[in-house]
Amino acid sequence: MTKAQAGINGIVTPKFYIKCLVELEDFLQEAAQKEKAAKKKMNANNAKAMNAMKQKLKKNNKSFEDKIEMYRKDPDSLEEPAIVTVAATKKKSKNAFLAGSDSEDDDAAGPSTPQIDDSEFTTVGKGGKAVAEITSENLLQKLREILEARGKKSTDRNEQINTLQRLLKDATSSYQKIKVLLALISSRFDANLSMTGYMQVELWRSVEKEINQLLKIFETDPSFYVFENADDIDDEDKDIVAKPGQPIGLRGSLISFVERLDDEFTKSLQNIDPHTTDYIDRMRDEAGLYAILVRSQVYFEKHNLAASIGRVVMRRLEHVYFKPEQVISQIEIATQSVLGDHVKSSIITATDPAELVHQLCTYLYQQDVSVLRTRAMLCHIYHHALHQRFHVARDMLLMSHLQETIHQADIPTQILYNRVMVQLGLCAFRDGLIKESHSCLQEVQGSGRPKELLAQGVQMQRYGQPVAADQEQLERQRQLPFHMHINLELLECVYHTCSMLLEIPAQAQAGPNNKKVISKTFRRLLDYNERQAFLGPPENIRDHIMGAAKALASGEWEKSRDLIMAIKIWELMPNTQHIKDMLARKIQEEGLRTYLFTYASYYSTIGLAQLSQMFDLSTVNVSSIVAKMIWQEELSASLDQVTQCVVLHQVEQSRVQQLALQFADKAVNLVEQNERLLEQKNAEQRPEQQQQQKDRRGNKGQPGSQQNRNAVSGQRPFQQRTGRTQSARR
Amino acid sequence: MAAKHDLTMRMIPFLDRHLVFPLLDFLTLKEVYPTEDLLKAKHELLSNTNMVDFVLKLYQEIHNTEDVPREFAEKKEKVLAQLEEFQTQTQNIIEVIENPEVIAALRQDKLQNLHFLKENYNFTDSMVLTLYDYGQLQFNCGNYGGAADMLYHFRVLSTDNERNFSALWGKLAAEILTGNWDVALEEMQKLREAIDQKSFSTPLQQLQQRTWLIHWSLFVFFNHPKGRDGIVDMLFSSQYINTIQTSCPWILRYLTTAVVTNKRRKTYIKELVKIIQQESYEYQDPITEFIEALYVHFDFEGAQQKLKECEEVLSNDFFLVAAREDFMENARQFISETYCRIHQKIDVKELSQTLNLTQEEGEKWIVNLIRDTRVDAKIDFEENTVIMNTPITSVYQQVIERTKGLSFKSQVFASAIEKRELAAASAATTAEAL
Repeated sequence: MTKAQAGINGIVTPKFYIKCLVELEDFLQEAAQKEKAAKKKMNANNAKAMNAMKQKLKKNNKSFEDKIEMYRKDPDSLEEPAIVTVAATKKKSKNAFLAGSDSEDDDAAGPSTPQIDDSEFTTVGKGGKAVAEITSENLLQKLREILEARGKKSTDRNEQINTLQRLLKDATSSYQKIKVLLALISSRFDANLSMTGYMQVELWRSVEKEINQLLKIFETDPSFYVFENADDIDDEDKDIVAKPGQPIGLRGSLISFVERLDDEFTKSLQNIDPHTTDYIDRMRDEAGLYAILVRSQVYFEKHNLAASIGRVVMRRLEHVYFKPEQVISQIEIATQSVLGDHVKSSIITATDPAELVHQLCTYLYQQDVSVLRTRAMLCHIYHHALHQRFHVARDMLLMSHLQETIHQADIPTQILYNRVMVQLGLCAFRDGLIKESHSCLQEVQGSGRPKELLAQGVQMQRYGQPVAADQEQLERQRQLPFHMHINLELLECVYHTCSMLLEIPAQAQAGPNNKKVISKTFRRLLDYNERQAFLGPPENIRDHIMGAAKALASGEWEKSRDLIMAIKIWELMPNTQHIKDMLARKIQEEGLRTYLFTYASYYSTIGLAQLSQMFDLSTVNVSSIVAKMIWQEELSASLDQVTQCVVLHQVEQSRVQQLALQFADKAVNLVEQNERLLEQKNAEQRPEQQQQQKDRRGNKGQPGSQQNRNAVSGQRPFQQRTGRTQSARR
Repeated sequence: MAAKHDLTMRMIPFLDRHLVFPLLDFLTLKEVYPTEDLLKAKHELLSNTNMVDFVLKLYQEIHNTEDVPREFAEKKEKVLAQLEEFQTQTQNIIEVIENPEVIAALRQDKLQNLHFLKENYNFTDSMVLTLYDYGQLQFNCGNYGGAADMLYHFRVLSTDNERNFSALWGKLAAEILTGNWDVALEEMQKLREAIDQKSFSTPLQQLQQRTWLIHWSLFVFFNHPKGRDGIVDMLFSSQYINTIQTSCPWILRYLTTAVVTNKRRKTYIKELVKIIQQESYEYQDPITEFIEALYVHFDFEGAQQKLKECEEVLSNDFFLVAAREDFMENARQFISETYCRIHQKIDVKELSQTLNLTQEEGEKWIVNLIRDTRVDAKIDFEENTVIMNTPITSVYQQVIERTKGLSFKSQVFASAIEKRELAAASAATTAEAL
């Protein structure tokens, strides 16, 4: 302690410290006077803080009395040239803190801090500016100076970039160029540090140009290459020329540059309003970016940098997987023309888009990194689904067993998984596989927040509570750029149409008190729609589908079809007419089924010809549908071949019979529940049998009491039977 | 037509050379492909084996010559020399093993056996290996019985897991080719167990092994009298259904045939329909299409048409040719059963038409059907119709059905509680005693 004291004493007190003390004293006095002059009293906290500060300052100033005195006499007399950035900031923060505690001091203290800062920064800046003459001899030396300054708080980044650009112009040998370019690209990326903002487009383009320049050097001059684990060469600021046939490895990471460039591109797309021309302009840069990806991939292949190849191939895949084949082949052609013939990859040779995606994916499947494999698999499935290869995509998904492990994956991969599921659902829908489509979409659309799950928009509220700011920030960063979005409206429309086609016949079959719900959201919407007192003509997609569902339920399939056909969004799907035809047919069939379920009890026979006329289906079709229903015991009826009609077997149950059946079901349920209860009890008791004896005795009565309750409410004819089972149970 | 539905090409990759041979022979017999092509294929197939004489014959047949190329003679000599050498080597081994004293001394424990042989008859590990090699050589020469013997002895003695495994495969092939179906079935079960239990380095390998086993087992299943039960049991187990779905959907043809011709396995039909529907995008042939028409679309005319195609496909399939009659008969029954369940009143004339029979035959057939399957139906001669009486289960019946199991269940439940109570009481007394 004393030692430290002595150490501190040894240092001459810096001039500005004294200056600060003096200024503080002055401010305080001023503030105190103001306070006296003011009519209104300062609030208690502020007053307390000011007093405390006054005392502290007095105590502190005692030890510096003479110096303060000296300063007051002559502000320049205390000469202190030492570099004191650290001390300054310390003091600054203290000052700011004090200012914060005392609101009156705030504006007074404000101007004083920047003053200090300014004076400090300019001096260092001067050192950086002092680049006078660059020759190829001292170029590397200069470069080193700049690199050493990098990352320091006092460095002006823009200034550095300018210098580096000048250096680049003067660089002659490839070694120099590579060195300068590596430094320049990293410092350009340094220029933007904040998490939220994106790199300016101009800056981005120049980086793109420089990476291309760098790659070009590698392509033309085989004597150098860059990789991550290279030994740092001590060049002593001299130029290095490689011996022929012995390439020199330099330390650097091209893959991180490329990835960063890609990330910045995505970030900019996230931030630009997608409905402006800016967005489209920005999208044009993708071709260049894609070319860089391919070019660097070739470079990595040439130097056999396996880890980097995997990463860059993944990036490449992520740029193509969601695009239609025509677009992919366009972008491939464009890339080829930009790069020229000498840049040829050895792993990815295909030109056909489907083949290209296949090759990219199969390459990634061989990687050791499981994340890459998973993502590649998902991209591959997405691509298949997009191109209407439902069975292939489904088989891949099932065989990959991703569904079991996806919950442990990182969030971007989960988002990708959701996208895949949705795309698969849409694909199934286009193929007319309603059930499959519904089950694929259920998870995402049924949750009620597809926007969030697909990363196509930020949810402002969750469970009625606003999302925390940092959470929202994170979510924003995960958003997909607009051009990758899946149309949410279309998704909703498809989902509800599927739900309608499944739910309406199921409801008709099960009767009014149906507890089995296929699609919760659909049911909710339908219930809501039915509660409305007045219904206007349908306006949005939902209204159309609800109207169609109600029409279908009452057997008016034509109205239902017309309503569904009136939805404009079908136009967004390829092959619209085909899909509409498919839907019309499904509505006819489901309409027939619904009709039979609903009205079967009012007929004793129905002519097949009549049905076929009503639903505009061929007789063969009708009989096939009816036969299926009979076979699956959904409809208690049979066909009469001679007269060509459906004979319905009336099973009119009396009230007592119905109740008896219900009661029997309940009794079965009860027994099952009791068994489960016992099993559960046994399972939990086995390990700690001895301790829980008493508790168990207490619980024993429970099943019995349950039985009694049921027996009381039960019906007479079967009481005897159930009564016996109860006694047996006891 | 016949060639279109021929599966030989798809199956060859999963079969052993020697096993392919009967298939090709069959094709030659049926003249599905040009004879010359088949001859060449046979030659190609066997030229890598040691069946020199046979290959030579094929060669002569293809080239229409009588001369013997030198390489054949050389090869023959070499093979004979090899055989000779192995013969002498294994001579004493076999002698030792077949010595009744030794057989009496051998136990279950392989290690102990080996130890015993080493001590008393100066056996070595390499001698056991010789058995394996000799077995392989004999198999390659077409001497399947000998190969099976050798491999049997090898398996009794060897402790080398990998070799034992491949010896199992070899034994199975040898038994199939000698036609010992009982033994082959046994071997196959062993192999199946081995595949299920063995830990493979990748799941892919296991899948491959299973695919192979399925293909090989067809030989056994369609030749063994009880095979049709076996194939249904084996292929419907979840691992094998998965294997079929992922790597060889064409096996569905055999599975379907087995299910259709198997009277006792009707419960499987629902499952089969589901699988056929699932795989229809990947594999379709008249036989699966028949099932689909009947049970998915309920298109009886379509089913009838498919049935006609089935007949041809079956008669051109190596494995199924024997099952053709059965299949046709059972398929007809399937059609009529489904038809009867759905319909209430059927015109006999039309029914016989759907079944591809004359009216009189149809009537007879229906009577038989009514008798055999206990369908509740009557023939109205005046109108020439069959009237089905659809049984309606009364509510009382339903209630009884549902509550049938309750009393038994409750008894079990009660005794479980009692047992627990007793256990608790005894535990309590011991606790008190402590």
